[in-house]
Amino acid sequence: MSAAALSGLALPKAARAGDEKRLVTLIDLSLCDGCPGRELPACVSACREINRDRIPEVAASIPMPWPRKTIEDWSKKRDVFNRLTPYNFIYVHRADVEWNGQKRTLHVPRRCMHCDNPACATICPFTANHKQPNGAVVIDQDLCFGGAKCRTVCPWEIPQRQSGVGIYLHILPGLMGNGVMYKCDLCNDRLEAGKLPGCVESCPQKALLIGPGKDIEAMAEERAKQMNGHIYGKRENGGTATLYVSPVSFDLINRTMQRKPGQPDMQPGVKRGMAGTDGLGKTVLAAPALGIAAGAAGAFGWLSRRKSEVKKAGEDNG
Amino acid sequence: MADRIVREKGLVVRHSVVELIEHWAIAISGLVLLISGFFQMPTSNRYYITSVPGLAWSGDFFVSLSVHYAASVVFIAASVYHMVYHGIRGDRGMIPQKGDFKTSIAVIKSFFGKGEEPPFHKYLPEQRLAYAGMAFIIAMLILSGLVKTYKNIYAPDLPLAVVLTATWVHNIFFALFLLAFLAHMAAIALKPNRPMVRGILTGAVSLAYARHRHPLWIGELEKGESPPFPAEHTPVEEMQRAAEEGAVEDRDLVREEVQRETAEPVTGNETAEN
Repeated sequence: MSAAALSGLALPKAARAGDEKRLVTLIDLSLCDGCPGRELPACVSACREINRDRIPEVAASIPMPWPRKTIEDWSKKRDVFNRLTPYNFIYVHRADVEWNGQKRTLHVPRRCMHCDNPACATICPFTANHKQPNGAVVIDQDLCFGGAKCRTVCPWEIPQRQSGVGIYLHILPGLMGNGVMYKCDLCNDRLEAGKLPGCVESCPQKALLIGPGKDIEAMAEERAKQMNGHIYGKRENGGTATLYVSPVSFDLINRTMQRKPGQPDMQPGVKRGMAGTDGLGKTVLAAPALGIAAGAAGAFGWLSRRKSEVKKAGEDNG
Repeated sequence: MADRIVREKGLVVRHSVVELIEHWAIAISGLVLLISGFFQMPTSNRYYITSVPGLAWSGDFFVSLSVHYAASVVFIAASVYHMVYHGIRGDRGMIPQKGDFKTSIAVIKSFFGKGEEPPFHKYLPEQRLAYAGMAFIIAMLILSGLVKTYKNIYAPDLPLAVVLTATWVHNIFFALFLLAFLAHMAAIALKPNRPMVRGILTGAVSLAYARHRHPLWIGELEKGESPPFPAEHTPVEEMQRAAEEGAVEDRDLVREEVQRETAEPVTGNETAEN
């Protein structure tokens, strides 16, 4: 892993050439300045530009879902950039904090964390959402029914729904599905073409970097140590592929965030909700062995009983 | 199998305790799996199922997944037990036989008043076919479910093709399992089949019913009751022992009997009985 790669030039190629395919993003809050003087932060405008034509044309009349009548239509509010929407996969939160007796402003880019074990993907009922070998968690908009289960199980409620598009329109639109879920896909197509994600490539401060997991993890630890700072995303939700490094504690940053739809908070140490099901899941995986053992024990018990009965009967008759 | 005639009570034991436990373990856990599997789709909140008293949990995907996992431990263990236990014992009564499909059609026609039922052995030909169908559905559900569980815990980045296949096999066979369950319920609701419900609840059916409808089975049981072996030995055990010793393969005999007797009216068997 060369320095040039980490600075964000030839990185995905280098990453794919190595043993480790898993990519991790580093977001250094000591570097992000929120792009003063720009209409939109560079990462936000790059992301919007790349994904501008992603969502197909929304149905002129969006079918009313039954019985709970919830329609989420952002097609006429595409300009919104201060929260996550189906048309906006990244936004920058401004955190005014008091740190060591000084007032300080931090800028926190927020997008999908691309978790190590993402419940949004693993329990998608149609596998429309899947974690790629490079770590990117990608929703296939051609398979997604927009049921929003992924948003419910995400501790940050990242995926956002656009009603009136997608496969559900062709099946039972009033009864099943409600659009398509959209979120950051780590620019997976660009990564596969050897390019960098738009947010990483466009950052004038080089506050966002991407590289092989181990290298970025080591770099995050190193930077945190240097600034006597903190890391977010390493253990949250069971570990993620996005590591924030900050000189200010995330507990303090979190307090500047009011959790609202499309505006996640940053609760330190947030648990992976699905972890509670792992124990039972492991028992499920052991169930075939349990069945084999019990079945064999039962059958051989029967065989030996039969043998002794036949023997006894033979003696009785002989 | 513990099949035997209990004349003083007018009953025939049709299922052993082990078989009853197998059936009900799979049936009850299967039903829980159908329901909790349905809740894996984001339907519970949308359809206000969460508002139904006692079903608030259905909207929590991690809780419904735990219920689904717990039921699958029973479902998988019981299904695998069934396969191993009866496989080793050599129980083959429910394996479809040649001609079952054709005979099934004749039997279904008879339900609607067209023609007479042929005399049956222990199981109806369509029971054997339904068993094979249900076994296949259950096998596919278990295999795809195990892949999905493994992915959930250890490998969220399994190859997409593997996960997509497992997911869609699971979804499609979920629908088939539901249909098979409904068909099973419809089958026991049919009047001629109703006396068998008692069998799966208590293990025994009435001797009069069995004589009338399953004369080949009763014939075999009665044949086995005669000496030299004492009565507590089940006839099937004796059959198997005989088969092991190289004696006549009983089932072949029975099959010939079916072919011979299919042409005769059912009442013929009853008179022959006395």
